[in-house]
Amino acid sequence: MSEVQRRKYSQEEKNNIFDGEFMPHIDSMYNFGYRLTFDEDDAKDLVQDTYLKAYRFINSFEQGTNAKAWLFRILKNSFINEYRKKSKQPAKVDYQEVETYYNSDDVDYQSTTDLRAESVKGMLGDEISNALNSLAVDFRTVIILCDLEGFTYEEMAKILDIPIGTVRSRLHRARNLLKDKLRGYAHHMGYDTDEEEEI
Amino acid sequence: MDMNEETSQSRKLKCDDTSKCFQLLESILDGEMDNSKEVLKEKLAKCQPCFEHFHLEQAIRDVLKTKCTKQEVPTELADCIRQKIQDIK
Ligand SMILES: [Zn+2]
Repeated sequence: MSEVQRRKYSQEEKNNIFDGEFMPHIDSMYNFGYRLTFDEDDAKDLVQDTYLKAYRFINSFEQGTNAKAWLFRILKNSFINEYRKKSKQPAKVDYQEVETYYNSDDVDYQSTTDLRAESVKGMLGDEISNALNSLAVDFRTVIILCDLEGFTYEEMAKILDIPIGTVRSRLHRARNLLKDKLRGYAHHMGYDTDEEEEI
Repeated sequence: MDMNEETSQSRKLKCDDTSKCFQLLESILDGEMDNSKEVLKEKLAKCQPCFEHFHLEQAIRDVLKTKCTKQEVPTELADCIRQKIQDIK
């Protein structure tokens, strides 16, 4: 039974899937890897590992489904299972700790920010990147997936193996942390943050 | 704020349910809501905190999407991967 259900692609089909559906995402994959590790070699290793795994497990990929999400999930798992273990630099926040702490649904949605949209729009790419890069990896990841790569909540839930509600609350939390960083830049750069706009 | 400054007097200065409203606005911005246009129009016209939150959140998404520097993929990476795949075929 399971033999029947398991698709076996021919060599030609495998090649087509690999070249047509997997390889076009190499740019996004590399950028994701780089934003997780901040290291070119580590990012290369992660992407390479991901593609080798993708090839090895190609029979469990359903042709025509979301290859990008499938690849991102493999890369994220490789990062957690392998890269983080051998990394000399311990993760600042324990993954499990973050989970239990932030999994609560009562994320507060208070409007406390004095950061203005206009200040944000005026910021430089480096400031935005630095703010994003300074976030703990779990928060950084949801922002990368949502805002840089355009994944839906549902796709993110699958990539990260977490419920959609957690995706939403973690994103909200991540953006609040990002706002704190951006507010810091705004003050530093002398952007107007808390004054009413003069007419 | 912005070009909508003149209409802001008609907005409530306090939001009735910040949690619910903000969560809704963020879902809309993330493209998770169908038929969001009408809801959005009403929210933004009626409530100042919602209006401000929406524009700030929108600005943040915009700059993330357009300004975050992209890392150039090493040219040899794709070839390297293809070579390794050849080896395990
Ligand atoms: Zn409101």
